[in-house]
Amino acid sequence: MAGMNRLPAPFGAWIDRSKPISFTFEGKPIEGFAGDTIASALLANGQTMISRSFKYHRPRSVLTMAGQDSNTLVQVGEEPNCLADKRRIEPGLKVEAQNYVGSFEDDKGRFTELVERFLPVGFYYKSFHEQKTSWKKWEPIIRAMAGLGKADLKADFHHSYYDKQYLFADVAVIGGGPAGMAAALSAAESGAEVILVDEGAELGGSLWYARFNVDGTHGSLTRGELETAIAAKRNIRVLSDAVCTGLFADNWLPVITGNRLYKLRARSVVVATGSIEQPSVFRNNDLPGVMFASAAQRLVRLYGVKPGDRAVILTANDDGYGAALEILDAGISIGAMVDLRATVPTNEMTQAVRRAGIDVIAGHAIKEAIAGHGKSRITGAIAAPVAGDGKLGDGGRVLDCDLILMAVGYSPAAHLLHHAGAKFAYDTGSHMYRLETLPAHVFAAGSVNQAYVLDATLADGRRAGWLAARDAGHSAGAEPPAPVELGCDGLTHPWPIFPHEKGMDFVDFDEDLKYKDLINGIADGYDNVELLKRYSTLGMGPSQGKHSAVAAVRIVARETGENLNRMSVTTQRPPYTPEKFGHMAGRVFEPERRTAMHHRHLELGAQMMPAGLWWRPAYYGQKSERDKAIREEANAVRTCVGLIDVSTLGGLDVRGPDAAEFLNRMYTFAYAKQQVGRCRYVLMTDNAGVITDDGVAVRFHDEHFYVTATTSGVDAVYRQMLWWNAQWRLDVDVANVTAAYAGVNIAGPKSREVLKRVCEGVDLSAQAFPYMGAAMAEVAGIPARIMRVGFVGELGYEVHVPASQGEALWDALMAAGGLEGIRPFGVEAQRVLRLEKGHIIVSQDTDGLTNVWEADMAWAVAKTKPFFVGGRSAEIQAKKPLTRKLVGFTLANDSDPCPEECHLVLKGEEIVGRVTSAVRSPSLNKVVGLAYVHPSDGEPGKQFDIKVDGGRRIKGVVTKYPFYDPDNKRQEM
Amino acid sequence: MASLTNLDPATLKRRSFIYRKLAAAGAEFAEVNGGAVAMRYPARAENEMAVARRMGLADLSVLSHGGFKGRGTVEWLTRQGLTIGADSNKAYVQADGELAARLAPTEIFLLDALQGTGRLINQLNAAWQWAPSAPRPQQGYPTPRQDSHAWFMVTGEKSAEMFAKICGVDLRPQHCPVGTIAQTSVAKMSSSIIRADLGSTLAYHLLADIASAEYLWTCVEDAIAEYDGGIVGLAALRSLQA
Repeated sequence: MAGMNRLPAPFGAWIDRSKPISFTFEGKPIEGFAGDTIASALLANGQTMISRSFKYHRPRSVLTMAGQDSNTLVQVGEEPNCLADKRRIEPGLKVEAQNYVGSFEDDKGRFTELVERFLPVGFYYKSFHEQKTSWKKWEPIIRAMAGLGKADLKADFHHSYYDKQYLFADVAVIGGGPAGMAAALSAAESGAEVILVDEGAELGGSLWYARFNVDGTHGSLTRGELETAIAAKRNIRVLSDAVCTGLFADNWLPVITGNRLYKLRARSVVVATGSIEQPSVFRNNDLPGVMFASAAQRLVRLYGVKPGDRAVILTANDDGYGAALEILDAGISIGAMVDLRATVPTNEMTQAVRRAGIDVIAGHAIKEAIAGHGKSRITGAIAAPVAGDGKLGDGGRVLDCDLILMAVGYSPAAHLLHHAGAKFAYDTGSHMYRLETLPAHVFAAGSVNQAYVLDATLADGRRAGWLAARDAGHSAGAEPPAPVELGCDGLTHPWPIFPHEKGMDFVDFDEDLKYKDLINGIADGYDNVELLKRYSTLGMGPSQGKHSAVAAVRIVARETGENLNRMSVTTQRPPYTPEKFGHMAGRVFEPERRTAMHHRHLELGAQMMPAGLWWRPAYYGQKSERDKAIREEANAVRTCVGLIDVSTLGGLDVRGPDAAEFLNRMYTFAYAKQQVGRCRYVLMTDNAGVITDDGVAVRFHDEHFYVTATTSGVDAVYRQMLWWNAQWRLDVDVANVTAAYAGVNIAGPKSREVLKRVCEGVDLSAQAFPYMGAAMAEVAGIPARIMRVGFVGELGYEVHVPASQGEALWDALMAAGGLEGIRPFGVEAQRVLRLEKGHIIVSQDTDGLTNVWEADMAWAVAKTKPFFVGGRSAEIQAKKPLTRKLVGFTLANDSDPCPEECHLVLKGEEIVGRVTSAVRSPSLNKVVGLAYVHPSDGEPGKQFDIKVDGGRRIKGVVTKYPFYDPDNKRQEM
Repeated sequence: MASLTNLDPATLKRRSFIYRKLAAAGAEFAEVNGGAVAMRYPARAENEMAVARRMGLADLSVLSHGGFKGRGTVEWLTRQGLTIGADSNKAYVQADGELAARLAPTEIFLLDALQGTGRLINQLNAAWQWAPSAPRPQQGYPTPRQDSHAWFMVTGEKSAEMFAKICGVDLRPQHCPVGTIAQTSVAKMSSSIIRADLGSTLAYHLLADIASAEYLWTCVEDAIAEYDGGIVGLAALRSLQA
């Protein structure tokens, strides 16, 4: 049997004793069984101390066995802060404790407890508010102490595989205890599709471990019946080991299981998340051996682990007696029942305990847990008579025990309901927060809704399920009756808080906050729970106040005289339990676009660069020879023939009787008289007259224009076109065909010769197919749109073909140009070539303010047409003096360094513009560029200052462009 | 339709954007519609039909697909003999098994039947001509869907569950009848999904930007792995449909 504290079957319902598993804790080998959590396996092997507390490094161990607290946070391999009471063991798991200095057993950090009076609540405020200089001294120490676990930032990180999946349901039931199971069944019986989400490894919740009747059969029988019924329902999907961490608008529910985040959408939701057991505050209530009664029951029933040999049970309700019967069955002796109530009711449970010979000490509390050596285990408890709320009288008894179980009350696990906007009010009858109002399409069932007696819980679940199904549009039979007797009164003690004069009476285990810390915080003026939370960090640790929020409200109410009934716990925000970044990131989707020739570029050694979502070849060759490659590619175009993939350019088919009128309105130029078979430049401005895009309109038919747009701008252009035509209602159809066409630009003095070899159905001679001509023909047997345009300033043709045949086109042209030594060229060479020709690139040489006048593009504005988008603004701008002007420039001293994009243009000390493009031209062997200058410096020959790297100023000379082939003879040859 | 065993896709003009991936997976190609379609994966140990019934992924990008849009589209197509219902976001089966997917009142996406003859789409493309002079009749305009969209098919009982990993629309059979079209986002890409079962096997067409074909294929391959899914050829799909 794996572990000295392992109980025989039938204890340990969730472990598989046929599958032993070995792992290590702090380097020590530990044996467990499949189904064990790290914590259950450690306790089974006598390892009672699992972690060290955040501030005082106090030994900590199991508190809830439900993953609700920070006491069991451990490091598992590279992953810090894993919940040892939830994480199941696996072979070879390497588990380490967290937050210690030196060794876990002999933690030097524990000595901070000795100086605890120097670390008061509000330590940071008090220490560093005025003495800011001391922060420098303290910061390294504080940073070394801060945080839990180790993230190895130097590790060779590979992201684990996380992903997300959508789920849909008519009814989502959160919580697989008796109420949730009953709700799911009821909703399913109404015909709804149900998803039942449960944190546990198996459905049942408290039915697995709680004692609902003396012989302990009620729970298991009920679970069996519900389980069978649910399994028979095809319209119920069960998600076990799954945590719903939030309830957002429109019933959007994140559900985490393993490395997956489900995005669950449900028409209606039943929250059946139960309740959270609350601790008692007494000295040393945090040490290993002090835990909730429900935690001990889980250990015994689910994992077959004996949490101690001799227990004292501190209780204020019958559930404590049920727990007593449970652990007696497991062979754990009970030193005494310490009951906060002055009178212990006589009923089946209490009588059974008394019959077992257990000493019941009524009207007593535990004053202190007696710490053993190193505080890693308790050795006893001191019980004292209750003399009033929070007060203990003289006398009392020392009780021998190594286990103190707390069963003093509950608080509804209402986090999801809070997320959804439900309202709660303190109920003086049950001493718990009671649900007042629910948002639409959200329902509550079970103990979160104050139904505690099992029959009431089941009835409440059935009713909530039926209502939720009806809300989702499924109704069958009559509405089930609401439970009559909820059984919520008498379960929760109103004041299980017994401060000790020596302290270490913890209200918040996560942040090591003691009773006195809260009192001091209130005394400092933070007399509202929300303020006190932020001042003291109460409820801000991993458990998010699950066990401290209610106690804090009670303490603040008492200290300030506020009426508890009018107070609320601090805001409960998502997530309910910690989420990993991996869950939020999921499997990252990063779409990218590749042209038809993408792999050809790679095969030719291209260095690819992103252009929006597209990948384009920047240049072909080794990175170390970048400049040489670009020069040679540019030279090939100027002297021979080059081929560039221009598939990423936008393409829009504008068709219909009003196509020309539509373009007239969308662009600055005029298109009504454009001849079929001709290209014309297009320049788009927005309503403010700002240049937004450019390209070419090719008229292939009286009613058909093929319009190109920039790679990054085409989607916006397309949207603008649709938006405007929704208002104009012209008879025109616009189709974004960007991806449908692969395109190349074959350019250079020998481009005609090469293209002729593979082109059929069109005469490519200069006379028949002049500059800005266009035709539909076949290239290499592929239907093509051919346009004679000259972005790079040489004889050239853009050939656009159906994308699926783009690679074949590339292959054919490369083969056809073999004789001439055709060379592929990339975006970088194209940029050089176009700059030599003085062609602007919209969004590089323009910005979010550039209008047609300052870009010196008045030539592209039709003067006679009545309207175009931005035309009115352009008119107004034309009447105003320019504030800057885009000019071509060379350098006064060509040995000066080539300016870079965005180097400043100065007039005196005033910044008047910037360089937008500049390059040392391989064709002209000098620097050429475009820049915004002061309008008074805009004439050719004027000089202006450019501030280059290092703050040095060099002189630019305004130069008329095109710099290369100013008469455009080469592109028109 | 010629059938060429061990055909090299690069010898044909029309090429799927992912033909290299298919070839690397061991595809045996045949020529359909001027391109090479992966018919089967002979090296696979498991029967492709079984894979397709469970969770299959096929590339049909070279099969004929096209479309028309604009005013008069549906009326013109109806005159050409197509049967197109009134509802948008529905795909209507034509006489020889082709699909006319009505994406909008005036927009039809056409998918050839798995036999891949391309007869209907070729016939429509040939029939559509500009009228010689204005005013011209409203007859919509052809759209180059063959080249704007990659065409994948997702098959098998786990299809809807798999889609839930990459798409936010509820595609479960009980909520997505045969012929339903979802114009949505798949792995962050604008896509159209059309339910088109193959016999008794749940199946969906997946149509998306051709330029992102490799990206999307990789995403779907990744998503199907959880369900022990695999790439299947056109032959298996045809068998399922038979």
